[in-house]
Amino acid sequence: MIEQFGNGLLLGIIISVASVALSLLYGVTRIVNFAHGEIIALGAIMTLFFSNPIDSKILFLDRFAPLGINFSISIVIAILICGIFGGLLEIFLFRPLRKSEVGNIAVLVVTIGLSIFFRHLYLLFATGRVQNFPLELERRQTYLFFDMTPRNFQVLIAGLIVMIFIGLFLSYTKIGKAMRAVRDSNELANVSGINSDNIILFTWIASSMLAGLAGIFQAIINDVRYNMGFLILLLIFAGTVLGGIGTSFGAMVGGLLIGIFVQVSVALPFMEGHTEAKNAVALAIMILILLFRPQGIFGQKERIS
Amino acid sequence: MTIFLTTGSIYLVFILNEEGPLRILFNLLTFAGIYGLAAIGLNVHFGLTGLLNFGHASFMGVGAYVTLLLIPHAAGREGEITDTGLTFFPALVIGIIAAALFGLLLGLPAIRLRGDYLAIVTIAAAEIFRLLVRDLESVTGGVYGIINFSESLQIYKPEFLINFSERFELNSSQMWVGLLSWISIFIVLILLRRLTNSPWGRALRAVREDEDAVRALGKNAIWLKLQSFMLGAGIAGLAGVFLAFNYGSLQTTTFVPLLTFYVWAIMILGGVGSLTGPIFGSIIFWVIISETDRLAQLIFENANGQQLAGVRFILVGLLIMLLMIFRPSGLLGKKEELLLDVKSS
Repeated sequence: MIEQFGNGLLLGIIISVASVALSLLYGVTRIVNFAHGEIIALGAIMTLFFSNPIDSKILFLDRFAPLGINFSISIVIAILICGIFGGLLEIFLFRPLRKSEVGNIAVLVVTIGLSIFFRHLYLLFATGRVQNFPLELERRQTYLFFDMTPRNFQVLIAGLIVMIFIGLFLSYTKIGKAMRAVRDSNELANVSGINSDNIILFTWIASSMLAGLAGIFQAIINDVRYNMGFLILLLIFAGTVLGGIGTSFGAMVGGLLIGIFVQVSVALPFMEGHTEAKNAVALAIMILILLFRPQGIFGQKERIS
Repeated sequence: MTIFLTTGSIYLVFILNEEGPLRILFNLLTFAGIYGLAAIGLNVHFGLTGLLNFGHASFMGVGAYVTLLLIPHAAGREGEITDTGLTFFPALVIGIIAAALFGLLLGLPAIRLRGDYLAIVTIAAAEIFRLLVRDLESVTGGVYGIINFSESLQIYKPEFLINFSERFELNSSQMWVGLLSWISIFIVLILLRRLTNSPWGRALRAVREDEDAVRALGKNAIWLKLQSFMLGAGIAGLAGVFLAFNYGSLQTTTFVPLLTFYVWAIMILGGVGSLTGPIFGSIIFWVIISETDRLAQLIFENANGQQLAGVRFILVGLLIMLLMIFRPSGLLGKKEELLLDVKSS
């Protein structure tokens, strides 16, 4: 059980970072972004592309060689690319849709199309193989109660720091406050002199960068696949819904909880021999939350979100 | 316009394929029939009632699994044979009812939810269904699937179809499944036409337009939505059975969310809220799909099979996006039949 708890924390931190990103975007733009998973995968694939040794041909139908840049720098570049990608999506797709007053449901369907489109573009260019970052294997060590590799422990710490940073950012910076203002009421924010278009653009960029980071986390802990984002997307929805859709603080906690639920449920007696069905547990929790407490655990409280 | 496009796309099959165009045409018409049927079911949900259902694959799956488990089949890793069972048609009826009941089961709690929440719940429920089916290997065959069930349907295959198939070197088993799916479409459409023109159909459309008004008039809007959910789910279940018989084996991987998105693309292409739209949408869709594969082979010459299969999905994604942005009412849809500007606040 304790062992699974450690794994749960790791899965939780991935979902948590991704859920905050999703929740932020939903809060400000009211878009349920099914293409969120593809931005996650973009982060991982870009890092793979930049960091892999030059002689290993992995991308674009085995024709393009990766660049072989230092791993940390690759991460930074990949996150920046994700940010730019999100910004471009807003400018060229979602802003025009908003201006022509396309309804939320239609936008939701558009994001589904977007998700299918990019996922299979990755399949075409990054192949369907399961790949790993060029990192050395590490031995597991014990931290407090949990066994995990030092690298995974670093990911966990990094994730927690990012969370704290987001919290502080939303609470104390001008742009963070503006984001919360736009989330609460677009019109009132406009009246108070906030340019909501800029705030939404900023939210897209921030959300996409966070999603990219979550993808890199996921790739370090597990591996890189073209559909890695879609595989985890429903868990991210579960985390977001559990914490309260549209809240950032809730999404953080909800994401962590979902990750822990999923992994710990493997160790439950009635789940023995049914590990494949572990994601079903998280999805069932999400459905129950939506039915009985649609605002989520933290939906009512206006905390840092 | 639509008829023109459809015949045009069928003509395209003849131009692009020098050898065996008939074979390719009947293959894709079979798929078009099955998916068209599923899209008609989805249209009852979304087009007629405005329910955002993204779990269509699970309804198809319930229909397929229940029917196949009732007729003689072999399942699981060892291919454990069950040679007793119902004949095809009673099993089919039970399968359809099971799919409708699954719709009721899912709808009972979920139907009150607002649009985007319903979308998330239905897609999650479909995934739960798929994960459970994969997990319960002793009953459903798990990842090994179900095989050897085709005989139950094929014994009804009429003589003329066998003769026809032999003459043109076609696969008579598939022809039979295809023929049955098109007959089903015909029957379902007649039923739906009657239903939608009845007071019940008008009440459904009223639910879509303004739920509060319906409630004020003393109609039970929730129950109406549930009925629509069950009806659409039943039609999807029927399509699921044909899908299984067309493949000749039943795999859990068939019922991934992508199946749902296929059906969505077909529905939007044919026209949201249009009864006959999904048929044309389905034919055009499958012509595009089957020709894309060949085109992709030419462009990306050193891509493997999985990647080539991905190309068609790139197109599906693009199609969904572009249609939703530029022509949300589809090719055949009526603008006034469309309710997509639901603002969630």
